[in-house]
Amino acid sequence: MSTPTGPITSRFDPRFEVTLYRHVGVEGAHTLEHYLARGGYRAARKALTGMTPAQVVDEVKASGLRGRGGAGFPAGVKWSFMPPVDGRPRFVVCNADESEPGSFKDRYLMEDDPHQLLEGMLIAGFAISAHVGVLYVRGEYYLAYERLQGAIAEARAAGLLGRGVFAAEATEETPAVAGFDFDIVLHRGAGAYICGEETALMNSFEGLRANPRLKPPFPAQAGVYGFPTTINNVETFCSVTHILDRGAAWYAAMGTADSKGTKLYQLSGAVARPGVYELPMGATFRELIFDLGGGPSESAKAIIPGGSSTPMLPWREDTLDLPMDYGTMAKVGSMLGTGGVIVIPTSQCMVDAMANVVRFYAHESCGKCTPCREGVSTWLPKMYQKLLAGLGTRDDLDLMEDMVRNLRGTAFCPLADACAMPVAASFQHFRHEYEHLVDHGEAMFPPRARWTA
Amino acid sequence: MELPTLRPFFADKADVLQEILDRYPPYGRRSALMPLLWEVQRAERHVSEARLQEIAEIVGVTATEAKGVMSFYSTFHEHPVGRFHLQVCRTLSCKLAGADELYRHLVAETGLVSGETDADGRFSLQNVECLGSCGTAPVLQVNDTYHERVTRSRCDELLAQMRADREPPPTRERGGDNVAAAKADRMVGERRAADDAPVVPDAREGTA
Repeated sequence: MSTPTGPITSRFDPRFEVTLYRHVGVEGAHTLEHYLARGGYRAARKALTGMTPAQVVDEVKASGLRGRGGAGFPAGVKWSFMPPVDGRPRFVVCNADESEPGSFKDRYLMEDDPHQLLEGMLIAGFAISAHVGVLYVRGEYYLAYERLQGAIAEARAAGLLGRGVFAAEATEETPAVAGFDFDIVLHRGAGAYICGEETALMNSFEGLRANPRLKPPFPAQAGVYGFPTTINNVETFCSVTHILDRGAAWYAAMGTADSKGTKLYQLSGAVARPGVYELPMGATFRELIFDLGGGPSESAKAIIPGGSSTPMLPWREDTLDLPMDYGTMAKVGSMLGTGGVIVIPTSQCMVDAMANVVRFYAHESCGKCTPCREGVSTWLPKMYQKLLAGLGTRDDLDLMEDMVRNLRGTAFCPLADACAMPVAASFQHFRHEYEHLVDHGEAMFPPRARWTA
Repeated sequence: MELPTLRPFFADKADVLQEILDRYPPYGRRSALMPLLWEVQRAERHVSEARLQEIAEIVGVTATEAKGVMSFYSTFHEHPVGRFHLQVCRTLSCKLAGADELYRHLVAETGLVSGETDADGRFSLQNVECLGSCGTAPVLQVNDTYHERVTRSRCDELLAQMRADREPPPTRERGGDNVAAAKADRMVGERRAADDAPVVPDAREGTA
């Protein structure tokens, strides 16, 4: 087979190589020694000693990297929103509060390759002229926290964090590097999904309740402590490391028109081999689920494409052939989200599954605004309880559909939408299961044992 | 006898306190609130009213404000949890792997329901939402440690160890590219391959 030409959109393209997850799962990969022996901090050295901050921003823009936290906003564009340097403190924040159900890529990145993340934050800090990085990691990720703690200490001891990073390597042409000061504050969360919302995270970091803030002002204008701030996801920073190392063109050669690069997809639910798989953007569900994941472990009926908040797609041949990129998912009425793909088995009652998802968002609603507190946190879970108890009516179904329609876009932050969207999709594709339940008083697919002995 | 709560927690931990405060700028002293709550909770398995008052004074807020923050987060406890705090993820991917049964099994074995601590302070049980272990579901978190892909027999082994007052070592299960990467690295070591073909992982092997 000759080497294919054109964009790389398959893991099996011989030009593709696992990059972000190269060292994940390797014993000892979390140490600086391991990282340095494999080209670690080469990208940061290149950026800090040979480029201007504006050039770094341009490189990230040219790569086409879009934020990997879920929203998919172009990272380089976000960085360019930072106001001119005016003497005030500036912050670069890493959102490591991974908690969207179905997402588990960042945990392994931090546990097994923490320096890849620190290097990306260092580069980003240089690009936006921020001297402090805030790394907000969710409280439950204790091993990741310990590994990051160790990695930060190692980097400080090696002069890769702290005062004058790479100062010794400054040359006549690049006097700017004569002391780029950068350090990272590691901060643990304590179990609140809403902290994944960027302004809620900032409130949490400041020691406040994690209610989201009104936007605008956006973080670039008023973020941490009210100062200019850029916030990105763990995988985004890790991607930056490789973009600077290998160039924007290398990165942009992977993917589709609106989605570039390599991405971590997370496969869970009813599949033979669940786990995190790295594929170029634009690879299909079929490649992820069948070629890598070994296919469904039992008959499947739906795919949740990007974490539990993204509207599900029916399990069909044409769905499986869809490329997993931002544009395609939007076109079919869903979202790529975090790339957390959940396969729902046919034998799982869809009403029961959605009751589970709704309970999650109900538990995580911060209670700040009325639509979310009353709608998501109180009313929807009660309706699902009623349905599952066999007490629902057809009118209830109409009411629920109407309710989630009215929830859309009316809440203070995206959490209510994150709950309303999957519910609406379940009605769109599986209304017959809801109807069966209310008509017969029992589910089309009764609960069954799933726990492995 | 001196009641333990009467002595300020940080009275003999000035260095620990200072290290935490020094992480944040002077104008961001309040950021130390959550790290201080963690410090107390890790030592005492909950944060009492007296400790909360102490922390509030350190960071310069009222005890009510501090409580408002603490109560926002589901992993801070007002009452002591057990020496083995069992946290069962019950969100969708874990549910699809039997988390409901895992929870009911723990209820039957410990006699507790979510939110309770037993009389001798050994076990406490809590239902929690997504722990980010969806690919290695179901997951049981004991104190700070994840036990991934917990089967019924594995669960019973863990309970036996904890009943014997032993903290079970983590069982890190893996899948996907976690396995592939380990293999690729070995391959590079063996033949310095420049043309590494993508490695397709085998089924569920490679516990790291």
